[in-house]
Amino acid sequence: MAVAAANPTVFLLMVSGQIESAQFPQYDDLYCKYCFVYGQDWAPTTGLEEGISQITSKNRGSQQDLVWNFPIDITFKSTNPFGWPQIVLSVYGPDSFGNDVVRGYGAVHIPFTPGSHKRTIPMFVPESTSKLQKFTSWLMGRQPEFTDPKVVAQGEGREVTRVRSQGFVTLSFNVVTKEMKKLGYDVSPAGMPSPSLASMGDGLHRY
Amino acid sequence: MAEVHVIGQIVGASGFSSSSLFCKWGIHTGGAWKLLSGLREGQTQVDNPQLDDVAYWSHPIDVHFATKGLQGWPKLHLQVWHQDSFGRCELYGYGFCHVPSSPGFHRLDCVTWRPLGSWQEQLSQRFVGGGPQLLNSDLIYMGADRYRLQTCAMGTVHLQLAVLLRNFDRYGVEA
Repeated sequence: MAVAAANPTVFLLMVSGQIESAQFPQYDDLYCKYCFVYGQDWAPTTGLEEGISQITSKNRGSQQDLVWNFPIDITFKSTNPFGWPQIVLSVYGPDSFGNDVVRGYGAVHIPFTPGSHKRTIPMFVPESTSKLQKFTSWLMGRQPEFTDPKVVAQGEGREVTRVRSQGFVTLSFNVVTKEMKKLGYDVSPAGMPSPSLASMGDGLHRY
Repeated sequence: MAEVHVIGQIVGASGFSSSSLFCKWGIHTGGAWKLLSGLREGQTQVDNPQLDDVAYWSHPIDVHFATKGLQGWPKLHLQVWHQDSFGRCELYGYGFCHVPSSPGFHRLDCVTWRPLGSWQEQLSQRFVGGGPQLLNSDLIYMGADRYRLQTCAMGTVHLQLAVLLRNFDRYGVEA
């Protein structure tokens, strides 16, 4: 193992985890794409920046969740936490004609503190703003989509979009950071031995 | 100078009487604070939820401040609006919350309120919509000048914010 530099200039964020499952009560046979959106100071060092999962369907029994169990493994380096990476998910599935249409977009920041974390994120699709467009999209069997899913990770220009939220995706993360303390960053309250020991139970589904 | 990063999301809102909501937000700081990068204010998308009566926005926040003092720690102020099927917007609630001062990940619930008018105004609001709004939106995050204002409770806005501090211990500040 390399000896840690005395005066580091970059810190590392190592993320492993999985896209566990999804809840889409109205849909079935879905697959999921993921990619990362990060600021200018950030760069991935190892790992895959995007991926596509298998097509999964609900268990015919009692369980109503769609399970992907799809791995994520990536390491980033940066000099500045601004532009902290976000994972952007888009879920697709066939409509009644067999064409793939989008069933949801969603995004969440990679967890900030070392440890294991679980996140449930809401998934939404854009809606047509006019009644005429709604009618033609119903007639043609086509739905509005984002040309670039990465817009869901951006804060600008969202005031013009109308969306419909219709599902949730659950992700789990294991986060390791390196040299953040040496660069002067505090990411967890003083005197707390390990943030992973604190209960990080997710409540997003119930907010 | 010490630095503060506030990174997270405005997740959504619950407890409002109808859906199709959006949120205007902003971050107010004292004079000693300088915005280095990121957006200080914005507006979320309009969500029309299908599953439950929680509007989800997933609106990202990522701001970087530098500060010379602790006075005027950042406050987040919110306005929740409702958009009806004709595209008309109506105020549904004001609220503010302080950005947590301890580093780490925080889930925040921001309660909101709305000004009440006279009984004639309340009656007309019941039938045609609309309602009184604040002329001066500074009142959302200020305690002065609130007396004699009649308000009523509205829903809750849910946030997830991570606070990252830099060089606070170099100045002997314990957060």
